[in-house]
Amino acid sequence: MKRNPFVYYGKKALIFLVSVFVLSVAVFYISRLAPGDPLMSYYGERVEKMSVEEKEAAREKLGLDDPIHIQYVRWLENAAKGDFGISYKYKQDVTEVIGSRIGNTLILSGIGFLLTFLGALGLGILCAWYEDKWPDRILCKGGTFLSCIPEFWLSLVLILVFAVMLHWLPSSGAYDVGHKNDILNRIEHLILPMVIVVLQHLWYYAYMIRNKLLEETRADYVLLGKSKGLSKKQILFGHCLRNILPSYISIMAISVPHVLGGTYIVETVFSYPGIGTLSYESARYHDYNMLMVLCMMTGILVIFCNLIGQIINERIDPRIRANETNEASEVTSG
Amino acid sequence: MTEKELFTQVGIRPEPSAPAKKPNRLADFPWISVILLGIIVLCCLFAEVLMTKDPGYLDLKNYNVAPNSEFLFGTDTLGRDIFSGIWYGGRISITIGFLATLISTAIAVVYGSVSGIAPAWLDTLMMRFTEIFLSVPGLLLVLFLQAILGEANVITLSIVIGVTSWASIAKVIRTEVRQIRNSEYVVASKCMGGRFFHILGRHLAPNFIASIMFMVVMNVRGAIGSESTLSFMGMGLPLEIISWGSMLSLAEKALMTESWWIILIPGTFLVTLLMCLTNIGNYLRKKANRKESNL
Repeated sequence: MKRNPFVYYGKKALIFLVSVFVLSVAVFYISRLAPGDPLMSYYGERVEKMSVEEKEAAREKLGLDDPIHIQYVRWLENAAKGDFGISYKYKQDVTEVIGSRIGNTLILSGIGFLLTFLGALGLGILCAWYEDKWPDRILCKGGTFLSCIPEFWLSLVLILVFAVMLHWLPSSGAYDVGHKNDILNRIEHLILPMVIVVLQHLWYYAYMIRNKLLEETRADYVLLGKSKGLSKKQILFGHCLRNILPSYISIMAISVPHVLGGTYIVETVFSYPGIGTLSYESARYHDYNMLMVLCMMTGILVIFCNLIGQIINERIDPRIRANETNEASEVTSG
Repeated sequence: MTEKELFTQVGIRPEPSAPAKKPNRLADFPWISVILLGIIVLCCLFAEVLMTKDPGYLDLKNYNVAPNSEFLFGTDTLGRDIFSGIWYGGRISITIGFLATLISTAIAVVYGSVSGIAPAWLDTLMMRFTEIFLSVPGLLLVLFLQAILGEANVITLSIVIGVTSWASIAKVIRTEVRQIRNSEYVVASKCMGGRFFHILGRHLAPNFIASIMFMVVMNVRGAIGSESTLSFMGMGLPLEIISWGSMLSLAEKALMTESWWIILIPGTFLVTLLMCLTNIGNYLRKKANRKESNL
């Protein structure tokens, strides 16, 4: 069946917009209905000493005394103009604060994602090649073990060993004071967080590749290839791998938010100045404007990656039809 | 005399061998994991017997002491005995794990069955929602909710973890229910006026329980992991409520003083517990799958 690309992509875009809108309303309401005083993040400890009238005035100044739906409409209007308000904590434009930090996160999660993507592919193929022989068994055992270790604890142990005991690597931050433009210094700071980000997700996807490949090798066409005299390498790389790549790519597209989510936690452990530490702070101190933008950014990324995953699924691999169970379930339920 | 010798000398052929034995189910049963898990859970249950000190007591004379004969696992930066804390805190970690799983499984069972029985349009809508839910990293969602809710205790933390981790189970239940919802016994029960919860408990649940068992175990694991991560980040249980996670929240200070025992000992227990649960979960998954393929 031939689909009109305009209708197809238009539909996708519409789903995207509606999801983003629903998300923004949900985040806005939840964050504002929850207990906690945003004045704390604006004025800090001074709030305790403020009189009732002063608090009222401060609320009015920040526009916190209106009903929530009015606040939401105002936020939406300003956001359309590109004004996301100021961060209560940093007293700066939200976009400025985020802009100064997003680079760090993009480097960490971007490279981490690439390494995970390629590493998982390599490991998965290795395991499938040596199915049930010792390299496969060792990797499977090790991988299961690794996936049981909570991210933050692995970070702690690595910091303890490599930073505190051996003094090989720095334990926190993105660069030392005065070394802002020193690439080597930055790389040194990146190694430990990067190792955690990659290790955390590597096995999960490697195992998926392994199982998908093994499933493929049971198919009949492998037998045909074998009887034609193709080598193991030719069959595995030329046929099996080709068959699983589209679904792998779409799964990896969906996994982007998960890798990013992992980075958030790693960032807080390593006090790495990125989006992760920022969202942690903003949620903790009820820095509404900041929280809103960060949630929207993350949420849009989630929705976008899901759509990309779906489109790849539906376009590249015609065997998968739109209404069949989405691969997303496989990613998250295993 | 061996069979071969018998054959060459007397011409006795070996009896046709007995039909292949059924693969021994108990062979790949994760004994070590079950026993370890049992020991840890029992020790935590009877923490009072094992504890040598009051786990909450701040012994300021002996803070940050390395493991020795009096403080078997050392003391933390506040002077609390880690050995006692492990057992006492483990109780809370495990409680949260089970409570959160109970909540998420309950939500999943109801949501999944409703979606499975519901007409197609409602089913699609509900499954869309779970898909969106699944695509958001769970831990981030928990962090976000807990940060907004503020101060946590065992109950709120279990609820937050519970309401964020039901989606994958619900999906499996829905698929199973879809398959059996038109079977005769379900229809018969409906005709005789069986209510939704009656059908669910009597006819649906026994059918899908095997296929969600491993996910439930994995959920316990996930909940314990989330609790420790949250408490470590200072957004879960406060320091006074001792759990493995909140014990680890002193880790930053411990790093500065190179007190490895504060980090490694609670963490080892945590990882061991998670590892046992994973092994048991994997065993259950294999078992469930084996059944499926035999049918």
